[in-house]
Amino acid sequence: MTGETDPEGDSGATNGSPLDVANPDEPADDYSLTELLAVTAAREIDDGEMAFIGVGMSLISGVLAKYTHAPRCQLVTESGYVGSRPPGVVQSISDSVLGVDSLVATDQMQIFVDNQRGLFDVGIIGAGQIDKYGNTNSTVVTGAEGSYENPKVRLPGSGGSNDIMTSCGRTIVMMRQRARAFTSELDYVTAPGYLDGPGAREEFGFPGGGPETVITDMAVFGFDEETKEMYLRSTHPGIDVEEVREMVQWDLNVDDDVETTPVPTRREVAMLRTIDPTDTVLRDTDRIYEIGFDEWADTMERNWKRLMQIEEDK
Amino acid sequence: MSDTHDKTQTLQTAISDHVPDGASIAFGGMGGRDPEAAAREIIRQEKTGLRVVDDARTTLFDAMVGAGCVDEYVGSWVGTSLISQGHNVRRAVEEGVPKDLTMQDVSNFGSSLMFFAGAMNVPFVPTRSMLGTDIAEHNDDIEVIDDPFGSGEPLAAVPAATPDVAIIHVQQADRHGNAHIYGNTVNDHLKVRAADTTIITCEEIVPSETIAESPELTKIPFYTVDSVVEVPFGSHPWHCYGHYYADLPFYREYGLRSQDYDEFQDWLDEWIVPHEEYLEKVGADRLARLEELEQTINGGKI
Repeated sequence: MTGETDPEGDSGATNGSPLDVANPDEPADDYSLTELLAVTAAREIDDGEMAFIGVGMSLISGVLAKYTHAPRCQLVTESGYVGSRPPGVVQSISDSVLGVDSLVATDQMQIFVDNQRGLFDVGIIGAGQIDKYGNTNSTVVTGAEGSYENPKVRLPGSGGSNDIMTSCGRTIVMMRQRARAFTSELDYVTAPGYLDGPGAREEFGFPGGGPETVITDMAVFGFDEETKEMYLRSTHPGIDVEEVREMVQWDLNVDDDVETTPVPTRREVAMLRTIDPTDTVLRDTDRIYEIGFDEWADTMERNWKRLMQIEEDK
Repeated sequence: MSDTHDKTQTLQTAISDHVPDGASIAFGGMGGRDPEAAAREIIRQEKTGLRVVDDARTTLFDAMVGAGCVDEYVGSWVGTSLISQGHNVRRAVEEGVPKDLTMQDVSNFGSSLMFFAGAMNVPFVPTRSMLGTDIAEHNDDIEVIDDPFGSGEPLAAVPAATPDVAIIHVQQADRHGNAHIYGNTVNDHLKVRAADTTIITCEEIVPSETIAESPELTKIPFYTVDSVVEVPFGSHPWHCYGHYYADLPFYREYGLRSQDYDEFQDWLDEWIVPHEEYLEKVGADRLARLEELEQTINGGKI
């Protein structure tokens, strides 16, 4: 299942248009765990919502949602674009593909003012570490000997993750499932989940609802309404509960009827591979490190045209 | 600074006149419309002791850190791209190579607000962001205060940033510094107002009549600008909206070669050259292809 990504993105696709997929609503039998992660996050965005997204996996999920089940969702990026329909991977937060069909091109201050005003429904962020209350760290790994000033690993920093968790209606966290990442004690709190438990967000007067879902390459987690603690909602196909427990440092609560995460459809997988034909984000292959300039440019341009054509055909 | 004299300079002169060793600097753009050529010129002139006061930074910051130009960073995010970490930043913070880099974190909204406060000429502005987290805890400049009007609500006071220099790359400007920005603005309109001195680099210098035809695009006015430099492809390897797409294979190579400090020195030797020579090395065909790609997605918007 993993590592068998077809870079041409033709998992059943025919004639160049990713919408021409045989049995598009059937479960895909060929998908990677990274693709499952992206699809699961995309499904958290409801049609018509304002979705605040960053670069990488969160943006690819937002773009996928817009091209599949949520065509009327509006993507918001912190660099100033609203309403874009990027016809491919967004490499950086001011990537000019965000100009395609954008309704608003403004500045970062305005976007975060609107965010703090409570105007955005759902945000998607990434993180390096998370604790049971959904607080995240994307700033430093201090290790046993280190400190904020002298960390073992310097991570990129908050970006917009702090602001999204503080003020967005609800927040989806996407990250890798590792025992050192699902930690009993964060090295640094970059973005506020439920802080130290029930009532803490209310004390600070945060406009947003906080973390709602955590999606990893192994499982999906929610948060208990009373205790605000994370619990296991579903495991991905082929992963059992014990395997997930081993990758969590605290005693993980498990839903009474823990489910299996629904697998991607054939349409979703075909669309993802059309959005990211060079495997820049999904990274199931090393293609992005091997492709030459001319082939990269030609591939990107061909797929942009495919996706832009879908809109023109409507 | 309301004069409307001809402020055009060469890139070399603009940097040597306005960026002394030890200066604090804010750069424009954000993974798109970044003033990469200006940053390479700062490295070429071997500036030292710089304090970068900024928002989210990619390759230009990582390269300046690796070249030993920067002592301190205040901002929200550092890396290089989707496909590479900021290896030079990590080496400097974790190992002190080539020298220690002091980091002071804010959130992205925090970075906008510090320039807004600077542009307003007030000591701070309040926000709900960063409350309850280690950003406010570890950043000594951020204070948590109670609403002075008595609501009891806590607020994070974000201090004003007033960098010595702002360096912003735009699509077009006139000789007096009226700058048209197409697409998103990020924090650039605030940075030029917060800074003491502003250098505008642009794809093209245009007559003031062209500016006056679309004054709503003038996000940066002449009275905030001290120097104007025409630098075609001044954001390469990043995007310049309406002009050219990002050169991912180029910054992919940067990411790979910056993993090792010695290899990065070779990268510096190869690419830290006068801008005209840099463009020749990238190659006219490749640059033209990047222009074509941008036309495919945003053709006709400029």
